[in-house]
Amino acid sequence: MAPTKVLITGGTGFLGTAIIQSFLSLPDPSLYTITALDISPPSLGTQSFSQVRYVRSSVLQRDDLKKVFEEARPDVVVHTVGVYPVGQDRYAPYGKKSKRLWDTVFEVNIEGTRNVIDVAKEVGAKALVYTSSVTVLLDELDKDFRNADETWSTGRATTCYGKSKTIAENLVLSANKPDFLTCVLRPSVLFGPNDPVTIPTIHACILAHETPFILGSNTNLQDWTYVSNAADAHVLAVRNLLNSGTAAGEAFFITNGQPVTPRDFCLAIWREFEHTPAFEVRVPEGIAWWVGWGVEWWSWASGAKSVLNRGIVLDATKDRYVSIVKAKKILGYEPKVRLEEACRISCQFFRQKFKAQART
Amino acid sequence: MPSIGTIAFYATHPAQLRSIIQWKVWHNPVHEIDESKQTESLQRCFHFLRLTSRSFVAVILELHPELLVPVSLFYLALRGLDTIEDDMTIPLQKKEPLLRDFHNILEKDGWNFTENGPNEKDRQLLVEFHVFVEEYKKIKPAYRAIIKDITERMGNGMADYANNAEHNLAGVNTIKDYELYCHYVAGLVGEGLTRLFVEAGLANPALLKRADLHESMGQLLQQVNIIRDVREDFDDKRRFYPKEVWSKHVDNFEDMFKPENKEKALAVNAEMTLIALSRADDCLYYLAGLREQSVFNFCAIPQSMAMATLEVCFQNYDVFQKNVKISKGDACQLMTESTQNLQLVCEVFKRYARKIHKKNNPNDPSFLKISIACGKIEQFIESIFPSQKPPVDAKKNPASAQEVERLKKEANEAKWDTIYLISAVVLTIVVITGTMLLTAWMAGARFDIAFAQMKVQLGQLLGTDDAKAVSPKVSPGGHSEL
Repeated sequence: MAPTKVLITGGTGFLGTAIIQSFLSLPDPSLYTITALDISPPSLGTQSFSQVRYVRSSVLQRDDLKKVFEEARPDVVVHTVGVYPVGQDRYAPYGKKSKRLWDTVFEVNIEGTRNVIDVAKEVGAKALVYTSSVTVLLDELDKDFRNADETWSTGRATTCYGKSKTIAENLVLSANKPDFLTCVLRPSVLFGPNDPVTIPTIHACILAHETPFILGSNTNLQDWTYVSNAADAHVLAVRNLLNSGTAAGEAFFITNGQPVTPRDFCLAIWREFEHTPAFEVRVPEGIAWWVGWGVEWWSWASGAKSVLNRGIVLDATKDRYVSIVKAKKILGYEPKVRLEEACRISCQFFRQKFKAQART
Repeated sequence: MPSIGTIAFYATHPAQLRSIIQWKVWHNPVHEIDESKQTESLQRCFHFLRLTSRSFVAVILELHPELLVPVSLFYLALRGLDTIEDDMTIPLQKKEPLLRDFHNILEKDGWNFTENGPNEKDRQLLVEFHVFVEEYKKIKPAYRAIIKDITERMGNGMADYANNAEHNLAGVNTIKDYELYCHYVAGLVGEGLTRLFVEAGLANPALLKRADLHESMGQLLQQVNIIRDVREDFDDKRRFYPKEVWSKHVDNFEDMFKPENKEKALAVNAEMTLIALSRADDCLYYLAGLREQSVFNFCAIPQSMAMATLEVCFQNYDVFQKNVKISKGDACQLMTESTQNLQLVCEVFKRYARKIHKKNNPNDPSFLKISIACGKIEQFIESIFPSQKPPVDAKKNPASAQEVERLKKEANEAKWDTIYLISAVVLTIVVITGTMLLTAWMAGARFDIAFAQMKVQLGQLLGTDDAKAVSPKVSPGGHSEL
C-alpha cells in the first residue's frame, strides 16, 4: 500500500516539529510521507528530519500555496499555522482599539485557514486537522471555567486571538463533508523544549524579581499541555479521520489533564532553575486588576512595554480548566508525558540553552 | 469535670465547641438497636465491639438492621485475627497455623484461646470467643461465606508476613510491598464489606466489578494510619514506611526521628502523603455507589476523618515526635458533614485538598505532584457535581457539525410535531361538530331556516341594507306562523 501523504503547515514551528516527530516515532513511520510547509526554514536549535520534505511557502499566498499542494498531493493536511500574539497583545480585546493587531491576526488565522481549506479541497485531500486553541472558549477572560467540555458553545471570546481562532475553527468545521473530513483540536497553554513563549516568560520573572508576588487566591486551577502530547493528539486525529472518521466535524480539548494553579506551575519551573522566591506577597485579585489597569495606562503614556496587564491578571486568577474525556474516548488520546516529567525535560533544555547563550 | 486547659481551649475556639454541640444535639442514628431483644451472646459481642473498636463503633451500631450483626461479627473476626498476629509472645510455629486456619475456627463451637500475652488489649475477646461462634452460626450463609473467605485470605497474608524474617527486621521494601501489606490488612476489608453491602442490596452491584475502588477505600484509611502512627510504630519496633521512599532522603530509617533531619523527614512525609492522596478520587467514586444512608455514613465518616488526618500530618514534623490527632471539634464537624450526602463529603474532600495544597512546600521534591493530586481531586468533584452549566445559547455556536445536524433535526421534528398537533385538534373539532350536526339533522333540525335567520341577524348587526332586503323574505316561511 502506498504511504499516506501528510502535509503539515507550520511544519518548522514549535508544534509542527513535534507533530513530525510524533509521526516518525510511530511503530511503522514508513506508512507516512511528510511534507512540511512553513514560511521559514527550520531555525537554529529546532530539529529537522531527513525523511521530511521541507517547502517554503506562505498560507497567505494562495497561488504559491496551491503549487506546493499540487506537488505534494496530500491525502491529509494538518494545519498548525497561526499568529499567537505575545505580551500585552495576547489579551488585546477585540474591537476598534486593536484594529492593527486584528488585521494581522485576522489575515493569518482566518484568511490563511480559508486558503488552506480551499486548496486542500482543490487538490483532493481527504481530511484536514486544524490546531485551534482552548482560548475559543476560555478567552472570555472575566469568567471561570471549571472542567468545561466541548458541549460548551464558543463565540464569547473577548480577545482578538480567541475571536480569530473561533472564526477559523468554525470555517474548518463547516467545511466537513463526507469526502473531506475535518476536525479541530483545542490545546491549552503549550510548553516544551524550545518553546517560544511559556517557559521563557515564566523564567523571565526571575530576573525581573517578580517571583514573590502571588496574584489572587492561588486556588484557581489551569490546564497545561506538553507539546509532544498535543502532537500525539494530532497524529491520532489524522489516523481517526482516515480510518473510522468518528472525529469528523468534531472539536476536542487537548491538555495534559492535570490542572494545577498557575502559581504552582511557575514555582515548579522556577525550581528547575534553582530559584525559590525569598518571600511571598499575596496580591488579592481586585487589587491586582487595578494595578494592571494602572500599569497599562502608564505603559500607554510612557510607551514602555510592561509585563503586567489586566489580561494577565484575569488569566492568572480565574479557574481555566477543561475536560479531555471526549478526546480520550473518540481519539484514544492519552497524555503520555506527565506534567512533572514534562517540566523537568523542558527546563533541562532551557538550562543548556541559557548556558550556551551566556557563553557567547 | 473538664480540666481548666480544656475549658480554656473551648473558650478560645468556640467553633470547635459549636461543632461538638451540634453533633451531640442534632445527630439522630439512622437505625437504632433494641438491646432487649438481643440474646446474651450477642450482647456480649457488642460489648467486645465497644471495647475493641474505639473510633467507629458508633457508626457500626447505627448500621441497617440487615447488616448490623454481620458487619459487627466481620469486625470481631478480623480483630481476633489481628490479636493473634500482633502478639509477639506467641511463638511463630504456634502462630502460623492459627492464622492460616482462623477461617475454620470461626465455626468451631466453643473454641477459645487463652495463650495471648497479658498485655494484649483484646485478649478477652479470644478468651470468650465461643460467644462469637454462637452468633456467627446464626447469620445468613451468604454473609458467612464472605466473612470466611476474607478471613482466610487475610490470615494467609498475615502468616506470610509473620514468616518473612526480612520484613520483620527491615520493614517494608518497595512501594509495591507497602501497598500489598495495606491490601492484606485493609484492602481485603474493603472487599469484604462491599460484598456484604451488595449481598444485602444496599449498594450498587457494579461496585463489585470495580475492585480498584474498594481497594482504594481500604488503602487510603490504612496508609493514613501508617503515616500518622510512624512514631508509635517505631517505638514498637515496626516500620511500615517503604524503604523505596525514605532511602531517597535519609540513609537510615532512624534518622528521620532526629530533629536535625527535619527537612528530609518532611520530604518523606510529603511523598507518603502523595501516595495516599492519589486514592482520594476513587473513594468519592465508591461512595457514589452506596444506596443506603447508614451504609453511606459508615463508609464516609472514616474517609473524611482520613482526609483530615492526612492534612494535619502533612508537613508536620510532630508526626515524627508524638501522636498527632485531629481535634474533637473538627471530628464532630466531619461526622456531621459525612452523614448527609455525597456532595457534602465532596466539599469536605475539596476543603482538605485545598488545605494540603496551601501547606505544600515548593522546595519539596514532591511539590508539583502533590499540587497535581490536589487538582485531580477538585476536577473529579467538578465532574460529578458540576458547579457551572454550559451557557444556554448553545444553538448559536454548536461545537460540531454533528451538533448542527442534530439541532436541525430537532427543529424539523418540532415543526412537524406542531403540524400534527394542530391537525389532530382540527380533525377532532370537525368530527365532533359533524356528528352533532348530523344527529341534529336526523332529529329533524331545520338548518335552512337557522342559516337564513343567522344571515338576517348578522345583517342587522352590521347594519347593511342587505339585511332589510332579506328579512321580508324570511318571515313568510318557516315556523313564524305557527
